Amino acid sequence: MKKSLKALVVATAAVIAASLMTGCSSSEEQVANATELTVYSGRSEEFIAPFFAEWEQSAGIKLNVRYGDSAELAAQILEEGANSPADLFLSQDAGSLGAVAKADLFIELPNDVAESIPATYVAANRNWVGVTGRARVFAYNPDLLKVLPTSVTELGNAAYKGKLGIAPSNASFQAFVTALINAQGADFAQKWLEDLKANDVRIYPKNSAIVEAIDKKEISIGLVNHYYIWEVSEGLGREINVKNGFFKSGDLGNMINVSGAGVLTSSKKYAAAQELINFLTSQKTQDQFVAQTHEYSLIDGAKAPAGLPVLTDIGAPSVDLNALKDIQKTQDLLVKVGLL
Amino acid sequence: MATGVKDGLAHRFSTSRGEPASIHPALLALVGLLLAVVLIPFIYLIIRAFEKPLPEIAQLLLRGKTLEVLGTTTALLAMVVIVNIFLGTLIAAGIHFVRMPRAHLLIVPAVLPLAIPSYVFTYTWLALIPSLSGVFAAAFILILTTLPYMLLAILVSLRRIDSGFIEVARTLGLTRTQIFFRVVLPQIRGSISAGALLSGLYVLSDFGAVSLLNVETLTVSIQNMFKSSYDRGAASVISLLLILASIIFISVDERIKDKKAKENVFKRLSTDDSRIKSASLKTLLISALGIYVTLALFLPIYVLISRFIGNPNPLDISGLASAAISTVTVSALGALIALLFSAPLGFLIATHAGRFSRVSERIILIGHALPGVVIGLALVSLGSKLGPIYQSIFLLAFAYALLFLAKAVASMTFSLQLVPQVLKEVAATLGKSKTKVTTSVVIPIALPSIGLGTLLVFLTAMKELPATLMLRPTGMDTLATQIWSYAAINRFNDAAPYALLLVLIAAIPTFLLSLPWGDWESKADGTKTRVGSLM
Amino acid sequence: MTSLDVSHLSVNFGDRTVINDLSFTLQAGEIASLLGPSGCGKTTLLRAIAGLLQPREGTIRLGTQLVGLSSVVLPPNKRRTGYVPQQGALFPHLNVAQNIAFGLSKKEFSQAEITKTISEMLALIGMPGYENQMPTELSGGQQTRVALARALAIKPKMVLLDEPFSALDAELRNELRSEVVALLRAQGTTAILVTHDREEALVSSDKVVLMRDGKIAQYGSPEEVYESPISPSVAVSTGDALVLSAHQAKDGSTSYALATLSAPTGAVSTNNGYVVIRPEEISVSKSSAAGVAGTLIQLDYYGHDAMLVVKLSDSSEIIRARVAGPMDFAVGDLVKVEHRGPIRFFANA
Repeated sequence: MKKSLKALVVATAAVIAASLMTGCSSSEEQVANATELTVYSGRSEEFIAPFFAEWEQSAGIKLNVRYGDSAELAAQILEEGANSPADLFLSQDAGSLGAVAKADLFIELPNDVAESIPATYVAANRNWVGVTGRARVFAYNPDLLKVLPTSVTELGNAAYKGKLGIAPSNASFQAFVTALINAQGADFAQKWLEDLKANDVRIYPKNSAIVEAIDKKEISIGLVNHYYIWEVSEGLGREINVKNGFFKSGDLGNMINVSGAGVLTSSKKYAAAQELINFLTSQKTQDQFVAQTHEYSLIDGAKAPAGLPVLTDIGAPSVDLNALKDIQKTQDLLVKVGLL
Repeated sequence: MATGVKDGLAHRFSTSRGEPASIHPALLALVGLLLAVVLIPFIYLIIRAFEKPLPEIAQLLLRGKTLEVLGTTTALLAMVVIVNIFLGTLIAAGIHFVRMPRAHLLIVPAVLPLAIPSYVFTYTWLALIPSLSGVFAAAFILILTTLPYMLLAILVSLRRIDSGFIEVARTLGLTRTQIFFRVVLPQIRGSISAGALLSGLYVLSDFGAVSLLNVETLTVSIQNMFKSSYDRGAASVISLLLILASIIFISVDERIKDKKAKENVFKRLSTDDSRIKSASLKTLLISALGIYVTLALFLPIYVLISRFIGNPNPLDISGLASAAISTVTVSALGALIALLFSAPLGFLIATHAGRFSRVSERIILIGHALPGVVIGLALVSLGSKLGPIYQSIFLLAFAYALLFLAKAVASMTFSLQLVPQVLKEVAATLGKSKTKVTTSVVIPIALPSIGLGTLLVFLTAMKELPATLMLRPTGMDTLATQIWSYAAINRFNDAAPYALLLVLIAAIPTFLLSLPWGDWESKADGTKTRVGSLM
Repeated sequence: MTSLDVSHLSVNFGDRTVINDLSFTLQAGEIASLLGPSGCGKTTLLRAIAGLLQPREGTIRLGTQLVGLSSVVLPPNKRRTGYVPQQGALFPHLNVAQNIAFGLSKKEFSQAEITKTISEMLALIGMPGYENQMPTELSGGQQTRVALARALAIKPKMVLLDEPFSALDAELRNELRSEVVALLRAQGTTAILVTHDREEALVSSDKVVLMRDGKIAQYGSPEEVYESPISPSVAVSTGDALVLSAHQAKDGSTSYALATLSAPTGAVSTNNGYVVIRPEEISVSKSSAAGVAGTLIQLDYYGHDAMLVVKLSDSSEIIRARVAGPMDFAVGDLVKVEHRGPIRFFANA
């Protein structure tokens, strides 16, 4: 009895000591000349960590990276407000960036930051900049779908009854619906969503689940981002029977969304954070993104991911990404239609 | 706030009649303070929810989608709880009554599935049956996940049944089946209700299994709202609805529970005659157990191992080790905080019957149904204003303590009630002050059982994901977050070693929990698991 | 060792009065039994003396020290009463030595003194060498003895025993009881023994406190309460008794089924009532001419004696008689019954 009590005390002391050591490292530094930078990354560690490591080497600044879901990290930043320990927010999608921007939690980036990125992919007031391009596509199973749709608006047709998969809780889908509302009006978007729902659209929690479902022939077509066929294939460790398709040129279904980054007002280390953005938008890093994560580089004239048309040949509609920030109305619409 | 709650409850209590059990002001103050702490997430939710205008709240609650989700949640809850009651009773009775050498050790494999988090469970089952989806699949997975709670609860009370009753019933001419329904079942009703409560609250707060299987429960709705719209107001409204649902569930459970049936604590005679000898019945019971263990333990482990072996990427030993150390450290700290919090709360509930105790117990219990994401966001909101404590392991450990306080308090209450009143009285007459009685009699006797309760919190904390993602120190990975980050990009092979290690580490406390622990009162009958009566 | 003075004590459980205005005293070194049916408040009285519950009214004094009062209570840990509850209630997590030493504070006693006390106590209860045994390894009788040693080790002002022998079988019970009483007497300990066993009460104590409904029905030495009960019901609770209806005439003579006898003192008013007779005060004979005639209808043979049940021929009263020695009776015998003891007459209220 006594022995075990003693052991318990010793163990407790050890745990507390260990936790003290871990706990201290996260204390904030209030220096202008940064030696550490805190990044909230909505991009997966697996894909982005090597780039961060490279920058740490060259810049001599240590990165504390908090990985998570982009939208959850955005929610966390909103909740933290002015007290956020984050210096930089790297998001998978423009919507999450827009939400943070809307709460005035991003600084305005100077013009010399991310110069290579075209204005289309930068927020109007330079709150954030795009880092990589992500094309909306329809993924389909070539065995099941012989006639390809030419417009996203066709998907409400009876031909796709029970065959279409979407992920309405996913930020990329919501960004698309937001663009649809902006372009065609809320009534049109509502009609389209209602058509989908009436057409027995299948709901998935995320894009990869849609791609897997297409491969499993549960459905024949789904609205996703272009790189998921690689991600799912690599995850499963085998080839999958899913292809990317683009609608006719200029169709809203071909919209290009971006992953992007912004510097938080709560940061005291603007300079270092901006340096990291410059690194991520440099030609060299962008080429690596294309090769490794199969995303589009946003730089004019950059190569496309294997097997896909280059960014300018997609026939992407002209979408004001800055206007994607207001997804509240999209959310309300999805709720109203009953897809959320 | 704290003072308000405290004063109000103190006043109520002072008017209650009965045994001369006045609560020490210091205990009252401490409990009041802890309850205020426990209420932090509720306060957060109320503030966030009522940032929305009332008509909008009403519209949100009454729209078809909300009702549909509520329906799904209720259906899932009902399915899991009802099947659990049947299977749990069947398997527990099998373990208890079947005459076999070392039959009591059969509980070990039946409880080990507790070591597997529901999301890992689901991933492994999806690997086996990729088309698994929908509310029935979710019920299936959640039954596999929560059955051990039911088994532990029922087994404890089965072991507390004086087999003298069974013998008397035999002599009165009842058949074994009649004995089961008329003698045994009434006596384990309380435990069945406790197990139902525990598995039901688990279903209400689970996110992993249901979201992976495309079932939208209230918890999934809440998470989706946080994720997709940054609409914390709407999510908070739905969270309050979830709390309401759990209050209803808890009170329904209370109704079912037979309050008159008191468990017989001291007298137990274990005789061979109460054992089952019928070969066919024995086969049925043992095969039910066998099927369960296969589905809930062997198959998932098999999938994890084959994924692990099939992974061509080199194993990141240091990453695994540091994630394991973080997991164990922060979970242990969380269990420790839960232990500290549960001491005054458990002491109050165990020693002072009264309205204040009952109200405290309910408040703690309702917290059990809150999803991790709610506690996480509440603590992000509060914690980010607190400076260095934010994103330290202390805040995360604190979140674990809040999330699993109900388990800790239940086990504390149960443990303290194990100490007979007369021992405290004897100690007092032998010159020991109240403090000394507690340290020299109550704690030593209750300690093994309290330790097991703490282990349970530790185990549960290791598997926690949503709050961990939000509150962990930046840069710190736990086994759960690593599984999540690989699974998020569909790298299940890479997630496998982390999942395996988590299951392996979690299996240690689970194993200890399932062991039949000797009892002070009856050393001869060494077949007793204390943890079961968690509620 | 100390005297005990309980004065006008009342204890309530909620609205229910469990002890009602109860007073008695006990001299230093005396052993008293609290005897009464279950629910009469005897355990409550014991717990009030130990300080385990607070009286509503009245005082409790140990020696000259006031320990219990409705407003001020000396907590149990300051009273130094050695409490031995039912079945001993040994601390299950401590061994025998640790149990015995439990009340010995390390501040007051050196380790050597504690060790010495433990072995003295073990010698006293006849269990030397049991230091390291755990309670679960002891028999019921041994547990009770260790519990007593634990209580005596603190050199208590008095010892309070709450039905300590009730769980033991009859033979062990008698043996242990006399052992414990001898031990308490040898120590000169003031003690109170709660029991519902009238024989135990009579055999063990100097004083019997006969309780009924939270009050003292009678208080006195065992002989007093047995021989001179103050009411038929007290008589029944201290031993087997026959209660026969009786009439007392103006001249003081008392007539009842067995006899009409002259009163020892002067005249009283006429009264109907009862006489109480102990069965051993009745003699039964087949040959005697004296006595009242009856028929033997039942014979219970106990070995050391026997209980004869006789139905009187005239009055049809049923008389029980305890008869020693060899038996030459058989059911159906015609016998003569005679009362050879004091007349205890109780007038109707």
